[in-house]
Amino acid sequence: MFMKYREKVGKLVAVDVECTGGKISSIRITGDFFLHPEEKIIQIEKSILGSDMDISENDLEKIISSELRSALLVGATSADLARIIRRALECGE
Amino acid sequence: MWRVIDYQEHSAFMNMAIDEAVSNHVRIGADPTIRFYGWKPSAVSIGYFQSLDDEVDLAACAENGIDIVRRRTGGGAVFHEHEITYSVIAPEKMFSKDIIESYRQICGWIIDSLSIVGIEAEFKPINDIVVGGKKISGNAQTRRQGVLLQHGTILYQVDVEKMFSLLKVPNEKIRDKMIETVKERVTSVRKQKNVSRDDLYHALLEGFTRGKEYRLGELSSREIGEASALVESRYLSREWNFWR
Repeated sequence: MFMKYREKVGKLVAVDVECTGGKISSIRITGDFFLHPEEKIIQIEKSILGSDMDISENDLEKIISSELRSALLVGATSADLARIIRRALECGE
Repeated sequence: MWRVIDYQEHSAFMNMAIDEAVSNHVRIGADPTIRFYGWKPSAVSIGYFQSLDDEVDLAACAENGIDIVRRRTGGGAVFHEHEITYSVIAPEKMFSKDIIESYRQICGWIIDSLSIVGIEAEFKPINDIVVGGKKISGNAQTRRQGVLLQHGTILYQVDVEKMFSLLKVPNEKIRDKMIETVKERVTSVRKQKNVSRDDLYHALLEGFTRGKEYRLGELSSREIGEASALVESRYLSREWNFWR
């Protein structure tokens, strides 16, 4: 099941997510935000892969915040990303 | 001492490759560099994190001979036509560690330049410069391996209709409304003052170099060679441009 949700916070954040067997099997975060270093986006996506598709917004934020300890997101917050991922997951429910 | 490279026109792919090649040279000790350039043919650049498929109408770009390239910097899609683009490539330590503050520093040079042609502009965080609340310059920055690259555009003229004919909108029903909204939010040097593109460029040269020790220089043959290789290996590649 493929789901997509986009929202303009400070910058635009869009999430494409796919779930298989109740787990997140693919996720792609796109948009016009800034992230330093840029490659951190891969780590953030990897850290969410395999999570239950009913993972809470709070737990998503914990995962993202942990990744962002060594990076700087500009134009969105970890809470924004968590909320938008959660909304994308809900688009398929 | 700063090296300043006079205005040149290149393809979108070469422009982005030059930025990367110069960054690599600055990393190993070359002079910090300011370069001014244009895009030939006109092009759309998209931010590092943007989805090419979601943002750009590939067929419309192909029909109109518009190149498309992904940047190494974040930010949004930009249609490069009637504008002057700049890049500042320097050791990160020459600028504030705070990202927004460093945008403010470099954008200050653009604000000084616009002031020379009689346009009073101000910095609007995160990465814009506005005149009377309307955007006149967009900027984007990356920092890799101790080197800061900031590039941005100074809008000389804007063709919002053409820009929207090349970019996708989330909902076709509101395309006209979006065009009107952007027209209300974006301005250009020509809308503000009756100055020539040359006058603007000379103001930019003055604003960017004011108070700096600098020399007018050229790209080295090694930089050009490395940039040409990067065009083939990265900026023309489907793997890079369709990364997201």
